Amino acid sequence: MNTESADMQRVVVTGVGALTPLGEGAEALVRALEEGRSGIRFLDVPWAKSLNSALAAPVSTPVESRFTKLRRLTLDRVAQLALLAAGEALTQAGLDFSGDEGLHCGLFWGTGIGGATTLEQAYHESFLDAQARPRPTTIVAFMANGSAGQLSIEFKIRGPSFTYSSACSSSAVALGEAFLAVRHGRVRYALAGGSEALLTLGVMKAWESLQTLAKPDPVRPETSCRPFSRDRSGFILGEGAGALVLETESSARARGATILAEIVGYGNTTDAGHITQPDAGGQSRAMQEALRMAQLAPEQVDAINAHGTGTVVGDGVETRALKIVFGDRAAHIPISATKALHGHLMGASGAVEMVAALGALQRGIVPPTAHWTTPDPACDLDYVTEGARALPTLNTLMSNSFGFGGNNAVLIARRYTWAG
Amino acid sequence: MLVEEFGLTQEQVQPESKLEELGVDSLATVEFMFMLEDKFDLKMTGEPVPLKTVGDIAREVDTLVVQQGITLGEAD
Repeated sequence: MNTESADMQRVVVTGVGALTPLGEGAEALVRALEEGRSGIRFLDVPWAKSLNSALAAPVSTPVESRFTKLRRLTLDRVAQLALLAAGEALTQAGLDFSGDEGLHCGLFWGTGIGGATTLEQAYHESFLDAQARPRPTTIVAFMANGSAGQLSIEFKIRGPSFTYSSACSSSAVALGEAFLAVRHGRVRYALAGGSEALLTLGVMKAWESLQTLAKPDPVRPETSCRPFSRDRSGFILGEGAGALVLETESSARARGATILAEIVGYGNTTDAGHITQPDAGGQSRAMQEALRMAQLAPEQVDAINAHGTGTVVGDGVETRALKIVFGDRAAHIPISATKALHGHLMGASGAVEMVAALGALQRGIVPPTAHWTTPDPACDLDYVTEGARALPTLNTLMSNSFGFGGNNAVLIARRYTWAG
Repeated sequence: MLVEEFGLTQEQVQPESKLEELGVDSLATVEFMFMLEDKFDLKMTGEPVPLKTVGDIAREVDTLVVQQGITLGEAD
């Protein structure tokens, strides 16, 4: 696919925000990953005993208290997380969209489920009592585009808005599509990212049935997710939000904004094979497309943020896909799977991991793949298992996100340098 | 109840206070009417009633209470 044209804009990142199981703010996320701190713990909820295991990666920030009761009427937890992460990103970017600039900003948001808490509450009441009346705000709180709508209202973003739902790649797709929209001049600014809040009884039980969740380690449960390790057994469900402000280089420079990084490539492919099983062919095509768009050779990628969920099948397939794209060099690229520490944030994963990747780029330190214990012949690359690694020459970083349904989204970011 | 459920202040909630100015939009008003129904065991008529102020809500509830023969002391 040829996407190059003379009038394309360089796309830069001027703000990031994150609210994750590793704390509030992008900085907290990046630091915790570097330090190898895990956000995984047993949920302290009354219904925990209904689960095989209540091990999860919840956001411990008191999110609700940041909103008035009146405001909360229409805000599911997923939108509350979105608003807080986006607020951080927009504050850092120094943008105010209440005036005409708001007409030039697009909104690109990803979520796997949307307002799971609200929907489950309505179902719960309705199934238990035929006379029950769900709250009048149920629909607007659980609809998939609820977060995007609330973000637009809060920040007065009045350009085009889109909600992407492709399971675990949702917010990577949102970022990629935002990147294209800025690059091709559709919008000057984009607020892009994703949020997910699905630590509810029904959703967690459904995941348990699918048998992709990690077995809890009896001694150190916080280490239960072990991507690329032979003893891996699955992922840990988490919640959170990640947000980025993208804009044209010319806009950022004209207003004197601090440029954090540049987004240079995006690939998106579909496996068309199986609804859950990943496919190395589809994944590698997405990586190759991102490289092509970025006009980069495989040798120019310095580090990779893997999708790396910690499932037996998934990590092996991703390793094969990396070998297809990078050949012999695959073994020499540091690969981090941060889900071991922040859990699998589903639709929010791609954005949160891009925030982490940009932190790595800025600091020249790649985060580790934590909790790795044992080599696996099917996963024989450099997964940075010893702890965070200083990589002073780190310039270009690829981030992979693959979703159920067979969607593969790959983003490439690099340190920003002005061409003059 | 507006103070308790919506986090408004006593000063804000006066009979002449306009709901819109309190941030209580149409959705929040419906939500509040549901709460009132549950609290006082009332049944709204289902007919649209123009509710613009806190006083409008109080009058509507008073009307329904009389119509439906409800004793408020028992409901709470």
